[in-house]
Amino acid sequence: MAPPGGQGGGAVSTRGAGARRMKWALELSLGNARGRGDRQSNQGDVMYPIGYSDKSVPDTSIQETDKNLVEKRCWDVALGPLKQIPMNLFIMYMSGNTISIFPIMMVCMMAWRPIQALMSMSATFKLLENSNQQWLQGLAYSVGNLLGSALAIYKCQSMGLLPTHSSDWLAFIEPPQRMEIMGGGMVL
Amino acid sequence: MSKPTSLFVIFFSLFVMSEAVFEDQVGKFDWRQQYVGKTLFAHFDSHSQSSKKLFLATDKNIFASFNSRTGELFWRHVDKAGPEGTIDILLLHGQDALMVVGGGRLLRSWDTNMGGLNWEAVLDTGSFQAACFVAMQDTVKHVAVLKKAGTVRHWFSYLVYSGGEEEVYVLGVVPNSHLTIIAYSLEDGEIIKQRSVEAPWLSSVESSCVVVGHGVLMCVDTATLALYALPIQAEEAPQFNQILLQSLDLEVSPGFQPVLVSSQPHPARSPISEFFLQLGPDHHVLLQLNADGYTIAPLRDFQPAFLVSFSTTGEKTVAAVMTPKNETSDVFPPQLYVHAFLKKDDSVGYRVLVQTQDHALTFIQQPGRVVWTREEALADVVTMEMVDLPLTGTQAELEGEFGKKADGLFPMVLKRLSSQVILLQAWLAHLWKLFYEARKPHGQVKNEVTIETLSRDEFNLQKMMVMVTASGKLFGIDSKSGSILWKHYLENVQPNAVFKLIVQRTTAHFPHPPQCTLLIKDKDTGLASLHVFNPIFGRKSHIAPPALPRPILQSLLLPVIDQDYAKVLLLVDDQYKVTAFPSTKNVLQQLQEMASSIFFYLIRSDQGNLSGFRLRKDLSTERIWEVVLPTEVQKIVAVNGKRPNEHVHSQGRVMGDRSVLYKYLNPNLLAVVTESTDAHPERAFVGVFLVDGVTGRIIHEAVQRKARGPVHFVHSENWVVYEYWNTKSRRNEFSVLELFEGTELYNSTVFSSLDRPHLPQVLQQTYIFPSPITTMEATLTEKGITSRHLLVGLPSGAILSLPKMFLDPRRPEVVTEHSREENLIPYAPEMPIRTEWFINYNQTVARVKGIYTAPSGLESTCLVVAYGLDIYQTRVYPSKQFDVLKDDYDYVLISSVLFALFFATMISKRLAQVKLLNRAWR
Repeated sequence: MAPPGGQGGGAVSTRGAGARRMKWALELSLGNARGRGDRQSNQGDVMYPIGYSDKSVPDTSIQETDKNLVEKRCWDVALGPLKQIPMNLFIMYMSGNTISIFPIMMVCMMAWRPIQALMSMSATFKLLENSNQQWLQGLAYSVGNLLGSALAIYKCQSMGLLPTHSSDWLAFIEPPQRMEIMGGGMVL
Repeated sequence: MSKPTSLFVIFFSLFVMSEAVFEDQVGKFDWRQQYVGKTLFAHFDSHSQSSKKLFLATDKNIFASFNSRTGELFWRHVDKAGPEGTIDILLLHGQDALMVVGGGRLLRSWDTNMGGLNWEAVLDTGSFQAACFVAMQDTVKHVAVLKKAGTVRHWFSYLVYSGGEEEVYVLGVVPNSHLTIIAYSLEDGEIIKQRSVEAPWLSSVESSCVVVGHGVLMCVDTATLALYALPIQAEEAPQFNQILLQSLDLEVSPGFQPVLVSSQPHPARSPISEFFLQLGPDHHVLLQLNADGYTIAPLRDFQPAFLVSFSTTGEKTVAAVMTPKNETSDVFPPQLYVHAFLKKDDSVGYRVLVQTQDHALTFIQQPGRVVWTREEALADVVTMEMVDLPLTGTQAELEGEFGKKADGLFPMVLKRLSSQVILLQAWLAHLWKLFYEARKPHGQVKNEVTIETLSRDEFNLQKMMVMVTASGKLFGIDSKSGSILWKHYLENVQPNAVFKLIVQRTTAHFPHPPQCTLLIKDKDTGLASLHVFNPIFGRKSHIAPPALPRPILQSLLLPVIDQDYAKVLLLVDDQYKVTAFPSTKNVLQQLQEMASSIFFYLIRSDQGNLSGFRLRKDLSTERIWEVVLPTEVQKIVAVNGKRPNEHVHSQGRVMGDRSVLYKYLNPNLLAVVTESTDAHPERAFVGVFLVDGVTGRIIHEAVQRKARGPVHFVHSENWVVYEYWNTKSRRNEFSVLELFEGTELYNSTVFSSLDRPHLPQVLQQTYIFPSPITTMEATLTEKGITSRHLLVGLPSGAILSLPKMFLDPRRPEVVTEHSREENLIPYAPEMPIRTEWFINYNQTVARVKGIYTAPSGLESTCLVVAYGLDIYQTRVYPSKQFDVLKDDYDYVLISSVLFALFFATMISKRLAQVKLLNRAWR
């Protein structure tokens, strides 16, 4: 919102044709130099102080439409992660299931962003403070992020990066303890 | 589509595994020592005065030439092992070395200069008896070889003699009856004359007679204690002339068979008239035959004298007499070879080659200086172990600190500080030494390895090789340099004794010294004895081994330790009673507690019997199972359990679909190999039985029909690899058996043979191998993470490092996505031999008998010792050196780049600061 004083500045610069030629000018004469035809309201004989404008200043108080705007903005924030999902799906499809540097980077990005977002949840809530539907939006936001990370996990799974098979835990199996001691051989 | 991919897979796998030694790595961590064995015949090269050659023929069928100054081998000819290549006699004349080989089968002539074969002649059939050079008018042109063919003559003992005339005399004896002298003409081999002399007292002409002087046969008779002289060339009927020893004032030691020693310096001339008569084990007399040919004059009495020998140079003959200096000489020298030469001032000098009972060859120069010694006992290593070297004094100090009991805070702090000071001192001393050595010219710095300076290196790559040889001599060899650090000769070891070497305590238990025990069993009496020693210093331990009054059948090393950290050795005698060593109270108590879980098995090959026993609390045993393989069908050739120090890192194999096929890792599994008694190619077979040693359960049996031994096999992890001869296709084949438990483990925490209801799944595959093999062993690493290779000794002397990957029964015939995922090489029946897989490049190991593998401190590295006639030590890296920087790693470049970057960062940081400051002021 522009401050109301700015209006006066505007009045100064628009005064008189001669003002076009100069950078700025101030008319200090009290006489009514202007023609009658002037439709401005300063035709009266009242002296106005410099910078006075009788035009009303717009109302800057919060109105109902602004409230809607905030609401909309908050929903934008809340639904952001959900909107990214189709894009992510496309990237997933494009990057394929081979394990190489680019798919890995993409998967990392995909996994990391929702996690980061979930970790900075409090900051997002602060952003949504003004909304009445704060909780709903918060929920949508977290669901969207969770979906994003689920997608990343699914991608990891399809790439075979998740330790879901028994073979992934093979290295941790300790050799079994032997119960009997045995030895011997051919008769010497 | 599958073909190119399979090719790609093969190519890729080969690319990954191709490994070889670079040229600059030759001899860097490997060494070879060549041996020849026990000397049978030795000759000095007297062809030229400055010659330094020495020719030996040995019991290992080797003809070799040595440098007599250094004892190094010039060249060596290794003939066939066994009776086919036996060297019957070696005769040397000029540059010609004549050899009768294979029991009189071949006559060979070698060029002594280069060691090349001049010619070879196949002799008529018959067993070799004697041979000598025959000279005519001072030139040696012929060689006479006497052989016994069939039953033509009933002689039992022969002597061939030629005294420079145109006749060759053969003397044959009919024991206790008469002596026959036959003269052959040199021209056409016709018998010129034949005479017979009554000699009822003579039983063998070889052992009791020599030719002395101008063709006088001199014999000694134990019964009458008399010398008999007989002129061989006499025209009329000759008679033995008896000379009583009493008349010469000589007396024979009771129970001793007198021996005569004479010498014929040149084949064209008669033997010299002086000769030695041995009267007792350490008593010799030098006698001279007078010119009349009948009377004898004693020249000199030598007592004590163990060995005598003659040597001639020019016109002078030297008689060498070996006398013992001290009574307690433990190595009695059985053979003495003397080389005499004329010095510049015309006096006679001599060098002596002594072969001692422990098969050591010692070369001595005139003033009694030992020039070199060769330990030829190492040509016949029976068994060996590798023992970690002890820590250095400072390391041991630190270890000791933690080992001791805590005694208050303040003393502990003091102790810690003092040991740190010692460490600092040692470090400073090391730095000073480095600095000092760096100033010296390069060649003078030598890293002499002695027992005192021995210490474990950073990665435990240097170890002590304890080798047991068939002659009963023990050696401690440094694995890095191959130098012999200690040797110990065990007396009274029978030639056919059986040895078993056991490491009871390693070096890990400072301050207790490491302890090895050698079980020596006499084959004839069956009685065994224990030799307990320190493997690092070779000293006999003060620990008294138990008395073993009964024959010992087997031994068993338990993982149980006594309070001194020595593992307990159980010895099973022929009544199946068990003796424990060490047998302290503590040990006996532990044994009683564990008795029900201690089992052992015995295999009697002659009865085809496998039986298992369980230990009772009173150290007696009970038989719990028995398997009989009928000996009329097949006989048990070999049995092998798994190596106790083997670690298996991965408990299963990952399949293409990422499930797991668990390995059947039964620590009690035995692989028993049998061969059929029927050798007919159509009916012969080879059997492999996998038997659980605790329960006696036969887990699997594989019978290879139309196959013949010798079977070489390796049993490790969950697989058995064996090699045999396929009689039908006439080729060598490798077969691999792998055992899997399935996709689920029955019990993942404990393994008990008594609780395993399911039999494992067994997979088998067979491949053609293009060469016969002599021995086989698998690599072994610290944790078992590194992939395994098979080390195969080939008859050519090469040692092949064959990746186990090629011997995998899961190799698919049709390539699928899953098999590709698993990196399985598609099945191909032919097993390749790639020359870059030879770990010993051109350092062939003649007659490889065994390969020993030991883990090192590095997971990637396995130490390998191949022994046979030669000893070869090297390291192998089955999965390449993944835990070590390469030899040619550019430290300078990397560190300079690092430093440059570091300084660049510092400088740019400073510059950035200045710039920021300037900007702030503006």
